[in-house]
Amino acid sequence: MLQWINSRFPITDLVERHLSKYPAPTNLNFWYLFGFLLIIVLVMQILTGLWLMMNYTNTAEEAFSSVEYIMRDVEYGWLLRYLHAAGASAFFVLIYLHMFRGMMYGSYQKPRELIWLGGWVTYVLLCAEGFTGYVLPWGQMSFWAAQVIISLLGSIPFIGEDLATWVRGDYLISGITLSRLFAFHVVLLPIMLIAVVFFHILALHEIGSNNPDGIDIKKHVDDDGVPLDSKPFYPYDITHDVYALGVFLIFFCAIVFFFPGGGGYILETVNFEPANPLSTPEHIVPSWYYTPYYAMLRAVDFSLFGLTAKFLGFVTMAAGIAIFAALPWLDRSPVKSIRYKGIYSKIFLAGFVVSFFVLGYLGLVPPTEIKNILAKVFTIIYFSYFLLMPIYTRLEKCKPVPERVPT
Amino acid sequence: MKFFSFFLLILAFNIFGADEFSCGSIECDDFTVNISNNAELQSGLSTYMNYCYGCHSLQYSRYKRVAEDLDIPIDLYIENLIYDGSKPGELMKISLSKEDAINWLGAYPPDLTLEARVRKPEWIYTYLRSYYLDSSRPYGVNNLVYKNVSMPHVLEDLQTSLTEEDFDRVISDLTNFLVYVSDPSARERKQMGVYVLLFLLLFTSFAFLLYREYKKELK
Amino acid sequence: MVQPISPPNPGRRKFLSLITGFMASVGAVFLAIPFLSAFKPSARAEAAGAPVQVDISSLVPGQMKVVEWRGKPIFVVKMTENTVKLLSSNLDRLADPNGANSVQPDYVENQIRSRKQGVAVITGVCTHLGCSPKYYPETGSVAFDSDWQGGFFCPCHGSKFDMVGRVYAGVPAPTNMDVPPHYFPKDNILVIGLDGVS
Repeated sequence: MLQWINSRFPITDLVERHLSKYPAPTNLNFWYLFGFLLIIVLVMQILTGLWLMMNYTNTAEEAFSSVEYIMRDVEYGWLLRYLHAAGASAFFVLIYLHMFRGMMYGSYQKPRELIWLGGWVTYVLLCAEGFTGYVLPWGQMSFWAAQVIISLLGSIPFIGEDLATWVRGDYLISGITLSRLFAFHVVLLPIMLIAVVFFHILALHEIGSNNPDGIDIKKHVDDDGVPLDSKPFYPYDITHDVYALGVFLIFFCAIVFFFPGGGGYILETVNFEPANPLSTPEHIVPSWYYTPYYAMLRAVDFSLFGLTAKFLGFVTMAAGIAIFAALPWLDRSPVKSIRYKGIYSKIFLAGFVVSFFVLGYLGLVPPTEIKNILAKVFTIIYFSYFLLMPIYTRLEKCKPVPERVPT
Repeated sequence: MKFFSFFLLILAFNIFGADEFSCGSIECDDFTVNISNNAELQSGLSTYMNYCYGCHSLQYSRYKRVAEDLDIPIDLYIENLIYDGSKPGELMKISLSKEDAINWLGAYPPDLTLEARVRKPEWIYTYLRSYYLDSSRPYGVNNLVYKNVSMPHVLEDLQTSLTEEDFDRVISDLTNFLVYVSDPSARERKQMGVYVLLFLLLFTSFAFLLYREYKKELK
Repeated sequence: MVQPISPPNPGRRKFLSLITGFMASVGAVFLAIPFLSAFKPSARAEAAGAPVQVDISSLVPGQMKVVEWRGKPIFVVKMTENTVKLLSSNLDRLADPNGANSVQPDYVENQIRSRKQGVAVITGVCTHLGCSPKYYPETGSVAFDSDWQGGFFCPCHGSKFDMVGRVYAGVPAPTNMDVPPHYFPKDNILVIGLDGVS
């Protein structure tokens, strides 16, 4: 039977190459678990999303009450919704850790540029998924977040206002906007996400995983051409991944079952009020996973070269997300991993991490004068990690990378 | 170290940004939510149906669900708590029309199904106990928590006829009921959560031992 | 490439693999429960399908009333005394006179197929392909039967049922029309959808 299939579609070969016998470096650490967990979360979001979609109504009149219908009238609807909402936050926690791993160990460097770009596109799509999904419950926060984000488009010189109206399909955020965001959220973006993730994994398996030491394990291979410093995915990595999944699920389920609102960070309290176009809530805050960029948007409060502050803020925010894509070409270091890079790389990476957290915090709280100055300072630190990279990676003294994985 | 300095920073920010009062012009009173006592929830429900339901619907909740969750016999419930002949499976909507409400009261009384999720329970508890006489307002009362509130003090009878302690208990039960109705699956959820976590702990322990079993070979 | 070696204690490794795999499968089954349960009728659907109460005091003998319950027509017929008498006279022409193969609550296992003498309560859906049969209370010779005793005739494929929904032999419909759960809390009050006590 298997032979019959294999001579027509090489399933055994495929499974061995991508799963059971995939040669993973022997020195992988816990930072290499998040990719696997991300796939699990993706599957969970697709399944819970599908089930939510069966009961959700995408009209301005019905959306809010249909969510409460799911929460109360559909059996286990509350669980599906809490899983999906907490899943969105988990998705971002994991992808930020996954991206940080790549930045720390230079996983974006040659020859893994396309893997990195695939991951970056995934992240951008995820941001779009998060935004469109946020609007669907049609509560106060949904409505006003949509209002603010789409208004940003209006800041683009010349075409802005027309573009914003075109995206809304109306002169204000309305059921028409809701319907199209729903279509994006449940069809267009998931299809793109799945395709890009597929590419990301395929590309990774062709090139092979990087490792915490940034050693090219393909330099030393056995007679079969398999790297000496590698181990088969089955049983070594799969057991590690399953263990990690258990730990992740303990944290995740503790939140879903005991703190499903996440203290207002997973389900915003204001969003339990139906959308009201005539009254803006006191504090509009985006989801926590966008707040670093929201802080950048607010930090830019000055006009320059005849461009409005609103537009410059929008550009800064977009650049904050876009600049990750340039990393492979900004890094001029001869080594990959932070373990062998010089002191400047370590300082700038630490600066990046601190600025990411501080901006994340600043984006959550109402602005004050001092906080605005802080936001400016940390925005500069954030960007200096990227923009000064071609300089500091060339100036610093790196440690020599060992030929083989140290034991 | 990195994370430690981050927490220090957050601390520093919190000192900069002094918060306003947590309940309008005063601090919220202490209130501990307890939705595990059915007798209290029943008392809260009865207060709600008698004093609030005339104007404030619970339109996402169904009569029957409340009866089942709070352990009230359905016949008793239909007889005493369904005023308009609704079927027990129906949503708890009220007959007050928007136009009438705006003519009589100046505003449409909001639905309160999700009130305890929009506002903190201690806010509701403090608010209902913070009415004071103010002759400049249309109904002669004002509120410390909700300035220039448009709702009259509907619980005034209770406040004057009951001792302070008893009145506080009535409000406490009412608040607990609102917390229950804002998320009726909470009790089932927490029960289930205990089993889920116990299962996961066991599973993860075995998964860890299995992982270590292979990990040993790599050293 | 590092390869698994045979461990010092192979039984332990085997046990751990089995128990972890087993627990993962158990977890997957539990995970399926909420997804499968969510397909059950929701509280809204339950409310829409709630029992229906009908006042039958206005029905005159020979008259039929159609009541909707869970989206299906329920035929409520008040029979004339003559019709009631005829019920036991045509048994040899019926396929399942005692309802042995038909869907009906236990408490109606008798010839009147109801909890009240003289009132028939039938789900008005032909057991052949789901059309709704027509009511023909007249007796004698009719277009589709030379010796009709009153009952229901399905316009789709010609199935014939008597006044209490029992199917005639030799027609496409295999069983009697269903009898929904029902009871009479008061003399002229009929509740459809509940098994209560009359």
